[in-house]
Amino acid sequence: MDTLHFLADGFAVAFQWHNILFALVGVIIGTAVGVLPGIGPMSGVALLIPVTATMTSGMPTGAAAASSIILLAGVYYGAMYGGSTTSILLNTPGESSSVVTTLDGYQMAQQGRAGAALAISAIGSFVAGIISLIGLILLAEPLSNVAIKFGPAEYFSLMLLGLAAVSGLAGKSMTKALMMTVFGLMLGTIGIDAVSGIARFTYDQPILFSGLEFLTIAVGLFALGEVVKTILEKDEETGSIAKINRILPTKQDMKDSTVPIVRGSLLGFFIGVLPGAGATLASFFSYTTEKKFSKNPEMFGKGHIAGVAGPESANNAASGGAMIPLLTLGIPGSGTTAILMGALIMYNIQPGPLLFDEHPEVAWGLIASMLIGNLMLLVLNMPLVRVFAKVIETPKKYLLPMIIAISFFGVYAVQYTTFDLYLLLGCGLLGYLLSKNDYPVAPLVLALVLGPMIENNMRRALTISNGDFSIFVTKPLSLIFIVAATAWLLVPLLLKLKGRKIVINEEG
Amino acid sequence: MNKKFDTVAGIAFLLIGILFLVESQKISDSAYGSTVGPKIFPMGLGIILSALSIRLLYETFKIKTEGTVKESLQYKKFIIIFVSAIAYAFLLEKIGYVVSTFLFLLIAFQTVERGKIIYSIIISTIFSVGVYIMFSELLGGSLPGFPLF
Repeated sequence: MDTLHFLADGFAVAFQWHNILFALVGVIIGTAVGVLPGIGPMSGVALLIPVTATMTSGMPTGAAAASSIILLAGVYYGAMYGGSTTSILLNTPGESSSVVTTLDGYQMAQQGRAGAALAISAIGSFVAGIISLIGLILLAEPLSNVAIKFGPAEYFSLMLLGLAAVSGLAGKSMTKALMMTVFGLMLGTIGIDAVSGIARFTYDQPILFSGLEFLTIAVGLFALGEVVKTILEKDEETGSIAKINRILPTKQDMKDSTVPIVRGSLLGFFIGVLPGAGATLASFFSYTTEKKFSKNPEMFGKGHIAGVAGPESANNAASGGAMIPLLTLGIPGSGTTAILMGALIMYNIQPGPLLFDEHPEVAWGLIASMLIGNLMLLVLNMPLVRVFAKVIETPKKYLLPMIIAISFFGVYAVQYTTFDLYLLLGCGLLGYLLSKNDYPVAPLVLALVLGPMIENNMRRALTISNGDFSIFVTKPLSLIFIVAATAWLLVPLLLKLKGRKIVINEEG
Repeated sequence: MNKKFDTVAGIAFLLIGILFLVESQKISDSAYGSTVGPKIFPMGLGIILSALSIRLLYETFKIKTEGTVKESLQYKKFIIIFVSAIAYAFLLEKIGYVVSTFLFLLIAFQTVERGKIIYSIIISTIFSVGVYIMFSELLGGSLPGFPLF
């Protein structure tokens, strides 16, 4: 009954008035981020880290971290709700996990059922959010109890698995994804080595002693990269927005979508728990599953409500599931969770098995607030869907320069150096060039976050074994992780050689 | 797939890999109490990145040149905004947050789409002054507010 006790404590944290406010602000901004084409959950969260850092600057570390992560996670799952809005109304997905929603969602809007489609995706997202949270609550304790027994060798191999999983699925070319991963690890070695105190690759520049700031790199690569892309590439005129007539779904709609919602939630949750397989894959799989199970598969693509309910539930469940490896193992399975992890580390809070012991207020406060946040989203999304639909019309003219200004403010307010601003601009340019040419940037950020930990665990393990590298394969658990990591990289390659098409995860 | 970019990137990353490999040799070895010094990890990374870059170059070399679709990119707008952003970073500490942000936003708004100058001025003012007041006055942060003349 410990879990219930902790959960109650979590609610005590989540119900503090400022945390309710943080969750509310998070989910509203998240929905807006999801609705605005061009800003995905990753850039949205990255952009808000500095803003929350300044908002929480007066609080004690633990409370500040809890409040920030509550807001940032709100942006994350809020964006999953919002992403469906543009898919349905405009046939343009707000973020990549809503791509399949366009197939049936836009058709429904064309038939005058936009309101029902939006409502069912909000309801589905809510159910999925709750199901994945129950999973998180049930799995958090046992998983962190197992993880607590890990030694440095196991950790090292587990992190390798995390990196392999994200690189193995990201982008079109695995060579490029791996290059990005290694490059991210390299960037992480710049600065003073934590173990020996020796400066590496700093060339006597004091500004480099503390290393490259994760925040600057993440905001630059994601948020500014998107801005650069939008400025450079003239996009086609967006079509007209479908009208929303009736918001509540009919009884028949509810009946048609109940099973897809439950199925999508469960499927999405388990896909989300797997590192590397994110919300995009989850929604894609859910769509194909629904089509397979459906009695009349020919209805799909013509405005079938199950084609909206399933995928929309799946992508939300996946974002809940992705929190599990992050919180219990300290391994982010996707780009967005890597950014969340970076945010926690900024507060000197290490996600992982010890998190639940050392900072229960952060872990359980977050879990409890996600329950509240999901409820807020349901309440907000049903009546306010027309308001959020208006957000789509925000002129790019004002949006793009303001994103630059917000990222400048955020980075400067945390770092107080203009060096970071130049670095930010450089990363923005680099982020655009890299992702345009299929070099995925999510593995880079993940590697940057995990790099120092991988290195420290590797060195600790090697110190124990007196420099003998076989320690990583003689420990059974570590061996399993390494075999799994190798398989993760090799299996897609083998499938490719056999000529099979593989699904690529673009969300990261 | 852009063959030219991949070739350039392959060479660039190969150079970075070699640089890491060479430079890591200069990191002094062995720290007290550990058999594994601070240079092993960067050295290994240098080797792996070099190997991957060579593989990328090989892959790129194999691909037949395909007719690349020439895109029309809005270089002019981009360059104006990017240069103003650099100027913004340069001037931030010199003329203060409020003025530099106002100027940057005004230029950028007008660059993305000309016209409606009154709106641009109003929004730039609200943003720069608003952020400054919120951050410095309400949250007690420190930003270089106004130029010190």
